[in-house]
Amino acid sequence: MTFTISAPPHRKSKITFKTIMWSKVLALVPVSLVSVYFFGLPALSIILAGILAAVVTEAGIQKMFRHKITINDGNAVLIGLMLSLIMPPEAPIWLPVVGSFFAISIGKHAFGGIGSYVFNPVLAAWIFISSAWPQLMTPLSIPHVGQLSDFLLENGAGLLVDVSPIALIGGVYLIYKRYVEWKVPLAFFLTMVLFPQTLNVLFAAVELVRAGVLNPLMYLSLMFKFLEISNELSYSMIGVVFFGILFIATDTPTSPVTKRGRLIYGIVCGILVSIYGYFGNYMAGIFYGLFMANCVSSFIETTTLPAAFGSEGMIGKFYRRFMDKVPSSLKMGVLSND
Amino acid sequence: MESKRLSKLPEKVIIPLKQHKGMPCVPMVKKGDSVVIGQKIGDCKDNNDSSVHSSVCGEVLSIEMAPHPEGNKVLSVIIKTIESDQTVEFTPTKDPSPHDLIELIKNSGIVEHYGVPTQSVLKPDGKNINTVLINATSSEWIGGKFSTPEEYGTQMLEALKLLMKAAGASKGAIVLRSDDAESIAAFSGIRFEGKQLEVAPLIGSRKIGYYLKDQGSDIVVVSQKRIYGKRILNFFTYNVTGKKVPVGCTPADVGVAICGVKSAKALYDAVYQGKPYYETVISLEGLAHCPPQVLVRIGTPFKDVIEACGGYPSESGKLIANGMRTGVAQYTDEVPVTKTTTRISFQKPEDVSKDEAIACIHCAACVDVCPVELVPSRLAVLADQGRFDECRKMHIENCIECGKCAVICPSKIHILQLIRYAKDAVEMAYEDIPAKESSNLKLGCACGGE
Repeated sequence: MTFTISAPPHRKSKITFKTIMWSKVLALVPVSLVSVYFFGLPALSIILAGILAAVVTEAGIQKMFRHKITINDGNAVLIGLMLSLIMPPEAPIWLPVVGSFFAISIGKHAFGGIGSYVFNPVLAAWIFISSAWPQLMTPLSIPHVGQLSDFLLENGAGLLVDVSPIALIGGVYLIYKRYVEWKVPLAFFLTMVLFPQTLNVLFAAVELVRAGVLNPLMYLSLMFKFLEISNELSYSMIGVVFFGILFIATDTPTSPVTKRGRLIYGIVCGILVSIYGYFGNYMAGIFYGLFMANCVSSFIETTTLPAAFGSEGMIGKFYRRFMDKVPSSLKMGVLSND
Repeated sequence: MESKRLSKLPEKVIIPLKQHKGMPCVPMVKKGDSVVIGQKIGDCKDNNDSSVHSSVCGEVLSIEMAPHPEGNKVLSVIIKTIESDQTVEFTPTKDPSPHDLIELIKNSGIVEHYGVPTQSVLKPDGKNINTVLINATSSEWIGGKFSTPEEYGTQMLEALKLLMKAAGASKGAIVLRSDDAESIAAFSGIRFEGKQLEVAPLIGSRKIGYYLKDQGSDIVVVSQKRIYGKRILNFFTYNVTGKKVPVGCTPADVGVAICGVKSAKALYDAVYQGKPYYETVISLEGLAHCPPQVLVRIGTPFKDVIEACGGYPSESGKLIANGMRTGVAQYTDEVPVTKTTTRISFQKPEDVSKDEAIACIHCAACVDVCPVELVPSRLAVLADQGRFDECRKMHIENCIECGKCAVICPSKIHILQLIRYAKDAVEMAYEDIPAKESSNLKLGCACGGE
């Protein structure tokens, strides 16, 4: 009889890094298929070229530095696929190749490989190729949600991923299955929705002030402005934004780990992307906004480290300080006897 | 349902003289002596130790160092058994005084499942206990030594009263698990001191203090979510009573004593039947024909327990004492069942996890599952790099060693191991933390390079 010895715990969960990566790839398959259906062979060749280049680069770099070759874990495939999906279909076939090479070699491995990079490799590569070859990376059209069917199939799609927001539903399923955490995408999405609505109210208020309205009821009725769907939303609720929310923002190495930090990160992402999108367009705005958010994510993480369990939060401390000042004769309630 | 006694008497039993945290007992027998069931074979010297009794009739083969399920070798009495039911005379105690109870606990060798002798939990040196809690949140009890749920309920309440009397405490509570409908039903059915008992859930700021006042009694039965881990006492105290135990202190510092179901039952038996603690109920898992629980004499080697339950299902595998999450994997099956053994598990080779750790991907899964609001991923990195001071700043002492972080980790990092390593280093390096009694880890210099 031979016994194995190891430290506890003796039974671990079945979810591994590999399953998470491949399930993300799987979640992107529907949108890839729709884009191939929509744009035809160019889309397919871009996707294949991007994935192939990423995998070859990863294997080459790991071979060169005599690391363990980890192309099986799906991370390189995912990066290649994600990068190809944010290209316009008119892009020449060498563009995703260069992009994938940059993403894997500079974006991922130069920063220390998986788990260590500061910027999402896909974002870094996108910024590199769109500033190097801006005319090739500019999409021919910018989508605009005019009717509900645009969620199903977007005719004005400029990038491969824009073709069908609904095809990205796999990302939501991953969150539901807890492969991806929910705090960042939820906070991000809500901020993206609330930001233009708040602007709506603000602009209406400014208009009222300009017109010299003194009736407070008029100001009170601004509340209803908040419920009117603003025009801005029809520009922001496009495929590439959902892609950013569900797949880029949730990239784990570039988002904070603390509970509060993830909420704050989601809000920061939403605000930055909304600002970029408001003054520019959401297709570039989502990438630049997320890139800026990546810059502050580790700062957010270090400032939101949790206190020991059972210690009071900010509100509790304030309440305690306030109650300590109040003389006991004014306090209501029964004094506890222990 | 009363659990069955192990069908076969083992050929020999190995009774460790140290089944608690503290100094080993002084052997009271020598080689060649014959012993009977219940005879005291190891005597304790001070308040923090607990005496040891023979669980069989037979002849002492030797007193030597033998493997212990905790991993080290411990001085043990090895007894060759003979088929006999001869026991020492058990005398019940009538109407014991608190002092009698403490002496009885000490002489009956009652030890908590976490290794501390019960008398030092109830009467710690220089500290006063005002609340006694019975932790019934683990699942090993009902099939144990009780024939009906009502018996379980009433005996637990009686035992709680005895424990409170022994400790001189005014309040007491039995803490159940909120998803354990069976035991909640067992307690809800009974009348105690003329009142129908109700199991109250611990929610938010409603701790036992609220229910004690609300129900106007000294004893309440409450329920909460399951907590497990190796060092849950401080967290458990906070969860149940709302009292925060300072770092480096024990629940006794805030006047709380935590006992287990097994020790409560052992005290009940010691008082009403005069029986010392020489039998225990353990759960079994992963064996060929295993009953869920079995009544075992303390000192029975694992090998005999496994043989009596159908043997090993496969040629090799992993033998674990005390559960999948926090248990210790055994290198031999010659280790005995001790007072702190609650479960024997066996894993087939295909179930043994053999994952390779890769880099942390900061997925925050460990942060989400941590019951005590730590950042395990960061602690693991800091521990790995030897930055123990920073670990301490991040409240590493709060870790209850439940192992949830290591279970959920998609990168399969050995987070629990790294955190324990750092905790040991912190405990050795700082003077304001009392020294831990036993550790399998041998650390080098705690201040950097070795």
